[in-house]
Amino acid sequence: METQNEVLLKVDNLVKHFPIYRGVFQRQVGAVHAVDGISFDVYKGETLGLVGESGCGKSTAGRTILQLYKPTSGSVDFQGVDLATLKGEELRHMRKKIQMIFQDPYASLNPRMTVGDIIGEPLMVHNVATPKEIEERVADLLNKVNLNPAFASRYPHEFSGGQRQRIGIARALALQPDFIVCDEPISALDVSIQAQVVNLLEDLQAQFGLTYLFIAHDLSMVRHISTRVAVMYLGIIVELADRKTLYTNPLHPYSQALLSAVPVADPVVEEKRKRVILEGDVPSPVNPPSGCRFRTRCPIAKPGVCDASKPEFREVDPGHFVACHLV
Amino acid sequence: MTTFIIRRLLLVPLLLFGVTIIIFMMLQLLSPVERSALYVRDFPKNEKAVDGIIRRYGLDKPFYEQYWRWLVGIKDPVSGERNGGILFGDLGYSRTASQPVNELIKNRFPNTLDLTIWTIAPMILVGIWLGVQSAIHHNGWFDQAARMFSIIGTSFPTFVFGLMLLMFFYANLGWFSPGRLTDDLMQVVNKPTFIKYTSLITFDALLNGRVDIFLDAISHMVMPIITLSYISWATFLRVTRSSMLETLRMEYVTTARAKGLPERDVIYKHAQPNAMIPVVTLAGFSVVGLLGGVTITETVFNYPGIGSAAARAAVNLDVVTVLGFAIFIGFILIVANLVTDVLYAVVDPRVRLS
Repeated sequence: METQNEVLLKVDNLVKHFPIYRGVFQRQVGAVHAVDGISFDVYKGETLGLVGESGCGKSTAGRTILQLYKPTSGSVDFQGVDLATLKGEELRHMRKKIQMIFQDPYASLNPRMTVGDIIGEPLMVHNVATPKEIEERVADLLNKVNLNPAFASRYPHEFSGGQRQRIGIARALALQPDFIVCDEPISALDVSIQAQVVNLLEDLQAQFGLTYLFIAHDLSMVRHISTRVAVMYLGIIVELADRKTLYTNPLHPYSQALLSAVPVADPVVEEKRKRVILEGDVPSPVNPPSGCRFRTRCPIAKPGVCDASKPEFREVDPGHFVACHLV
Repeated sequence: MTTFIIRRLLLVPLLLFGVTIIIFMMLQLLSPVERSALYVRDFPKNEKAVDGIIRRYGLDKPFYEQYWRWLVGIKDPVSGERNGGILFGDLGYSRTASQPVNELIKNRFPNTLDLTIWTIAPMILVGIWLGVQSAIHHNGWFDQAARMFSIIGTSFPTFVFGLMLLMFFYANLGWFSPGRLTDDLMQVVNKPTFIKYTSLITFDALLNGRVDIFLDAISHMVMPIITLSYISWATFLRVTRSSMLETLRMEYVTTARAKGLPERDVIYKHAQPNAMIPVVTLAGFSVVGLLGGVTITETVFNYPGIGSAAARAAVNLDVVTVLGFAIFIGFILIVANLVTDVLYAVVDPRVRLS
């Protein structure tokens, strides 16, 4: 996988707030700042890993990019079109090119539909094939994800988690999209099946020239699959670099802490290595801390600097972005 | 699917046996004297007659002998004719209606069935529609208004709402009348030239080509239909709404949106069918309730269904008729539950395999 420098998707200052209503008259009293101004490019053919702990807004980011949540502000430029401004029919047509693989293979397949209908439905609603062609295409897709084409007439509950996730992948591939958001596609699966699904995703990427945004919290899996990696904390991206740089030379104290939590398979190294242990809990995304969001837990935070202003997300080395006052 | 239905059918005799046992046991709660006293005109004076009845019908025998006798009846030693026996479909003689209970049910049940059929659409479909719309416009003005409107309906006592309808539509406007049919049309229906294909007046009217009778029958049913629907809408609305809200939050609904389906298809093809599972149960119970006779509604609107007949029998302590109805309604309930189970399997493929 080689990084080409053709930008497929450009996310600019994307914001998603979920309003909170309270009281008799349901006035808005605040908002969950789930995604609070993220910007990055995704290059054609690459896999951009998006990591962060639970509740940091990475899934919301994925869904907001795909316009499954309406963005509060910001733009998502995909092949020269701003997805955030599209509505109704236009957006529906764009969905042919942008797809999503969901985290939970049990919840994301309609239990009342056969596998064939689930995979074939996108082809039907976008009028891209006749019923007979759809049937052939479904069989072909099932083959591609290593499932028996005869399974098309069965229902999702007859399959295991790994099989269901492969059905979800076949569904996402049905319209031959250019860009797929994989929202923790393996975290609900058994460890033994995770590798299988990840390998499948890699094979399909090579075969169809797909571009992935791979959302995960499993750092070793992200390291395996990603070309570049973005680290998210409390609604913002704190660091973005190519995989090798990020894993060998993380600059942001949060990235350092996150990576130091990954155990090393060598007991000698594991014994000696220094671990950064974060104190306290993630602050509430309803009232995020002023200045740098990470300052409340940061081991090197300086009063007067970190709480004064938001750190800029700047390029410290070519292709290596970080948002920290002290780097 | 076939095996599923057959398995359910095999359960029917067992359930029926249970129903007869329960009904019989309830009857046994009364002492022999109390039971026979119902048939003696001036009871306290005429105690000898009570003894006679007890001996004649074996009311002092052990309960299993009485149960058996109730099931298969008594053979007349001289003529060999069978007398009674619910297993042979003889439910006894109704004092209040002056005809065998079988006849009474045969006359009354088609009217109840007719009313049930025409109530299903306004009650269930409108209730579901209200619930789905409420869920889609969650906490919006439609949602609030629909919930308010339907809760008022449920809070009304049936007879109060029924009387209000009578006052408004019958007394003031004169649009609809209580009863079953206008008198002269009833005479037409009772003539042999009016062929009773189904015994349901609305359908027979259409099959005989008498649209006027059909419309007249429907216009007599309008008020009961409105009453029955309005008092049930809140239940349907709530069950559908909450189930729909839950379903709309499911990931596969997001999947459907991600596929690029129009919102209309997302709601009506993906969310709604999945949200219907608890509603089918509720609809099943509601239809069973309607088939079992809606006593108050039928009485208020003087509608000759089994509900009003049963109420009359109960008020007059006509035990035989009440028991007959109990068994009949129990039977209807079992059949209706069977249908609900099958519908379940249609709605939810996961049921089919288990």
